[in-house]
Amino acid sequence: MELTERQRDAVSELINIAFARTGAALSELSGHRVLLNPPEVSIVPTTDLPAALANFIPGEVASIHQVFGGPVAGDALLLLNHDGALRLTDLLTTDGQSHSSRLDESAREVLTEVGNILLNACLGMFGNLLDVRVSFSVPRLHVETLNELLGSLTAGDGGPRYALVIYTAFQIRDSSVRGFLVMILSVASLDRLIQEVEAWEERQGRS
Amino acid sequence: MTRTGPDEETLLSAARLRWMNDLAGHGILITDAALRVRAWNRWLEEHGGLGADAVVGRNLLEVYPELEKRGLDRHYKWVLEGQTRILSQRLHGHLLPMPTDASLSGFSEMQQTARISPLIHDGRVIGTLTVVEDVTERVAREAELQAQVDARTQALAREKAAREEAEEANRLKDEFLATVSHELRTPLTSILGWSNMLLAGGLSEEVRDRALETIHRNAQSQNQLISDLLDVSRIVSGKLRLDLRTVELPAIIESAVEATRPAAEAKGVRLTAVLDPRAGPVNGDADRLQQVIWNLLTNAIKFTPADGQILVKLERAGSQVEITVRDSGIGIHPEFLPHIFDRFRQADPATNRVHGGMGLGLSIVRQLVELHGGAVRAESEGAGKGVTFVISLPFVSFEGASEGAGRLPLAAGQLEINCPPSLQGLRVLVVDDEADTLGMIRAVLEHCKMEVITAGSASEALGAIAQLRPDVLLSDLGMPGEDGYALIAGVRALPAERGGRIPAAALTAYVRAEDRAKVLRSGFQLHVPKPFGPQELVAVVANLAGRLNEG
Repeated sequence: MELTERQRDAVSELINIAFARTGAALSELSGHRVLLNPPEVSIVPTTDLPAALANFIPGEVASIHQVFGGPVAGDALLLLNHDGALRLTDLLTTDGQSHSSRLDESAREVLTEVGNILLNACLGMFGNLLDVRVSFSVPRLHVETLNELLGSLTAGDGGPRYALVIYTAFQIRDSSVRGFLVMILSVASLDRLIQEVEAWEERQGRS
Repeated sequence: MTRTGPDEETLLSAARLRWMNDLAGHGILITDAALRVRAWNRWLEEHGGLGADAVVGRNLLEVYPELEKRGLDRHYKWVLEGQTRILSQRLHGHLLPMPTDASLSGFSEMQQTARISPLIHDGRVIGTLTVVEDVTERVAREAELQAQVDARTQALAREKAAREEAEEANRLKDEFLATVSHELRTPLTSILGWSNMLLAGGLSEEVRDRALETIHRNAQSQNQLISDLLDVSRIVSGKLRLDLRTVELPAIIESAVEATRPAAEAKGVRLTAVLDPRAGPVNGDADRLQQVIWNLLTNAIKFTPADGQILVKLERAGSQVEITVRDSGIGIHPEFLPHIFDRFRQADPATNRVHGGMGLGLSIVRQLVELHGGAVRAESEGAGKGVTFVISLPFVSFEGASEGAGRLPLAAGQLEINCPPSLQGLRVLVVDDEADTLGMIRAVLEHCKMEVITAGSASEALGAIAQLRPDVLLSDLGMPGEDGYALIAGVRALPAERGGRIPAAALTAYVRAEDRAKVLRSGFQLHVPKPFGPQELVAVVANLAGRLNEG
């Protein structure tokens, strides 16, 4: 399954709106201007995820994971590499100097909150678009290797699934922390999402 | 079935309620969709200071108006839209204000993480569930852990720096030893070479004179080197003791200038001294201060080419006395200026070859000046522009200046003997088991028209004192049988009228600070390190003779 150029543009635009909200929320929280770079969107089968992400995230990955359910169901994740996760918490919560060399409890919590805000903004966007209520699980943070993470996501599950992979970077105080937003969806959920995105795009074009 | 009881659902519901209300280790707060509080568990009662009866039924934002002020009400709004929110401790500190025992954690508000979830029934959000966790201790513990990690990181960095410093010091020491051995061998080569030729004989008188002059000059240079080395070692080990008196600088500077003038003239360098007699006295060790000036002057002569000039100036500068030595020599590159007083540093090895010497002198200068509570600095406008050394010493007021100039300054490096007329006819007893030394001393003293009595042993000397009543006593320390210490003990045991208070100097190769202390404690007035020059010997005798009038 591939996105056409138009579909890709439409998804990007929608996510960009969610990003703007996330940036505003994080700016307010941290007292620093936070921007998220315009998203780069692609769709890959979950079996290709290791290859798609491995180059960007060697070593350990911090993931904030929320399961969502309803008419559209799946897994939503924010992925950061270990250093990026540390830097992001430092940039958001301290004077920006790197204080810690490990992700301690409170840093993990901050990441969970940041991931939660971002994932909720994006999923909320899709929920509104599809006019369905999406319910969320409590977000969980894991620090593990990419393979361990992907293994836990793709194991024991019938039917092919796809991942909507969104690449972005947090811009805070002249620093940039890159990250991935990954949404894993069944074929049916993805189809429905893309249809609705196209319909939205047409409505935008008309008005 | 005979028994009927509550069904499973009822049991579980009772258990949940009991757990939530009384047993949970977290705060649990339930509101309806209008944010009216519907449940407030015991944990919140205990920690929040508000009983359930005071809270339940009221709007949460009314109970805690600060939630709105802090923008936290938005989170509840999002939850009412179906989202789940996490409020992390680091970004928010706390959700609900609750006091904590500040003395334990350093926080006055409880540090919390909170999770707020929607309660959903039939697809509608009917309320919110807030779970509050007290993480105050955890945050404090993490901060402590981080502090420990930081401290360990710093300790490691310090350790590394110390190790590098030690390695550098070790490297400098190796270099130092290599330089010392090289510098000691250099004059030795000419001494050995020329003395071999002299022993072989058959040299013309002219060559013989040159040989002797060269041997003499090199021996002197080696002697200087050894005293410098010993000075450095004494200073470094903190064993150098200053014989502090009120010192008039003009006399000291003048004699240093006179001592170095022959060397300057031989090189064609003009040496001028401008000494302000009103510069005033300082508190210091006359010998050491003279050594300082002498070192600066020899340094200046070494680095100033023919037709150059050296100016020595003494002047008062506020509460300080300043001594300036300015030369028109090769100058110093600004980058090297900070290192100029380091031991064994010269601008570059090439200079070392040309100018010889190891740069010990300037290190000694700084150490001695600092021991006097003064400071020394070097200024140069760059290579080829000469160097100016400025020593500042604290000026002392005139009280106590009547102590006089202290020990006589000893002029080194002068071949011509300057004989004070007052010494004529003085009767000097010289004790040494070395005939060569006795002969040399006798020659010098007799040159100054003194009467010299010699003794080869302690007992011989004691007899001479009793019979011949010499004015002063010069004695070697290391002698077979009774040594110099035994001799002075015997002398001091005599009554004054039989010579028990005769001024005495020990002439010795034991030159460490503790040797000097032992010598002075044992009854000698002066400790004269071997080797010494003729002029120094005369000065020693003059000093001893000066004490004759004291008692």
